[in-house]
Amino acid sequence: MLTLNNISAGYNGVDVIKNISFNVEGNLAIVGPNGCGKTTLLKTIANILPHKGGIEVLGKPFSKMKRREISLNIAMLSQQPSIYFAYSVFDTVMMGRYLHIRGRISSNPTKQDKEIVAESLAAVNLLTEKDRNITQLSGGQLQRVFLARALAQEPKIILLDEPTNHLDLKCQIEIIEYLKKWAKQENRIVVGVLHDINLAIQLSEQLLVMKDGKIQASGNAGDIIAKGLLNQVYEMDVAKYMCDSFKKWSEIF
Amino acid sequence: MKIKIITTVCVSVIAIIAGIAIGSVNIPPSSVIYIILHNVFGTAIPEHIPVAHVGIISSLRLPRTLMAFFAGAALSVSGAVMQSILRNPLASSYTLGVSSGASLGAALVIFLGVSLPFLPMLTLPILGFTFGFATIFIVMAIARRFDTHMENHTIILTGIVFALFINAITTLMFALFREGTERMVFWQMGSFSMLGWNTVHILAPVVFVGVLFVAWFRWELDVMTFGEEQAQTIGVNIKRVKLLLLVVAAALTGGTIAFVGVIGFVDLVAPHVVRKVFGSAHRIVIPMSAVVGGTFMVIADLVARTVTAPVELPVGAVTAIIGAPFFACIYFSRRK
Repeated sequence: MLTLNNISAGYNGVDVIKNISFNVEGNLAIVGPNGCGKTTLLKTIANILPHKGGIEVLGKPFSKMKRREISLNIAMLSQQPSIYFAYSVFDTVMMGRYLHIRGRISSNPTKQDKEIVAESLAAVNLLTEKDRNITQLSGGQLQRVFLARALAQEPKIILLDEPTNHLDLKCQIEIIEYLKKWAKQENRIVVGVLHDINLAIQLSEQLLVMKDGKIQASGNAGDIIAKGLLNQVYEMDVAKYMCDSFKKWSEIF
Repeated sequence: MKIKIITTVCVSVIAIIAGIAIGSVNIPPSSVIYIILHNVFGTAIPEHIPVAHVGIISSLRLPRTLMAFFAGAALSVSGAVMQSILRNPLASSYTLGVSSGASLGAALVIFLGVSLPFLPMLTLPILGFTFGFATIFIVMAIARRFDTHMENHTIILTGIVFALFINAITTLMFALFREGTERMVFWQMGSFSMLGWNTVHILAPVVFVGVLFVAWFRWELDVMTFGEEQAQTIGVNIKRVKLLLLVVAAALTGGTIAFVGVIGFVDLVAPHVVRKVFGSAHRIVIPMSAVVGGTFMVIADLVARTVTAPVELPVGAVTAIIGAPFFACIYFSRRK
């Protein structure tokens, strides 16, 4: 569904990610230390950054797609932007319908657009807050609003950059579970950058491990952890840290 | 929302009628309405209305008030656009050097006596507009040279630095050519005096088309307030839309100040008031900025020509005197 072939990209002529190639058919969690190029990789897939190499979505190369077609297939939940102007929750999520609305002569939202926005808000448990001003929301609520906006785009692929930032534990699990369910319907996929290894494994058993702008390992999470590949990347014994954490939990209960 | 919009439009109509009715000769509002209807639809004027009143309104106050309204609308909409696409509540065409460029154009005409062949009367507005408009292109070209992504902070900083550079040239001309200083100072402070129907006929269609054009991009403006990366992932062709809107906003400001001089604060105050009262959605912000900005300017012009009559104050000074404390109240009350 999503294929990257020898992709390099970066900022001001300096490549941050180098020669990245992979093929994704199901959900994928990307992990790696700070500054390894995870966000750059997501921005490249979202066609925000210019890149060298080839990207294909549903078998069609980016080079033969317009921005409109790419955005109809790929939505991205970025790390939270600064909010300068006050919009209602409903209006903010309606912005996800931009390409659908602009595709019509009237350029006005239809009843169907409003229903999709309401469904997206219901999916993130924010339908009752639809008339609130987004500047009055907590970080977690705001994150859910932007997720609802990505869902309202009705993409085939959702890219998530630290989607659970600002979310409490219950919310993190609910969002991940919802996204897994969303992906299962109609054969869609979620590609998420996550710092929390536990959540990464919950999102997908397929891991992509990055370091210094390159793929260090990819494949089944169990295999990667068993081979100690995460330890090399994080320069610490990840499995031991996890086991110690569970031991503390078991001592408490 | 509907009630707020209807109330604002009613206040605007009342302000326009007051702007036409009040002056050195006060004319009853009913007479004003009859004379406006006569001018627009050609209806008969009742016999009890003096011919002098018809002359005052038709030839002087109606074009002046309309000019004030269109100028206020253009500056306000331009400010709203600049603030949204540059994601900076204090941005305006002035920040990007449009007024500085226009001032340099005006200085060439006033100090050096530059005159266009065949169009000597329109030399100042044409050069003012051309220089103001050219400034934004130069600013964009320089910004693009430094930063191919044309990030907002690069554009704003380039605009500020370039505006300072142009202002320095104008200041040099002030120092070198004393003759014409008074005329230049008054032009820079803005005025609607001496403007007739011919200027309304030029500015009105420019403002009308410009505002409609900007209103068409209401969705893009909404999305762009969340940042360019977000707008791109949602599907906005950011480079094209940003360039188009910056050019149209600069044209609205440049076209206006070319005729009426540099009038500040409307572009800052009106969009802020509108966002506070009506929310940030541009389907409302753009048309209501035009209405509120136009109304604000009509009131400012009314104050400028009545409080110290028969001496007329520069309208730019009045907008700043009313606008600065008003803006401070709005801004700090929102922060609370």
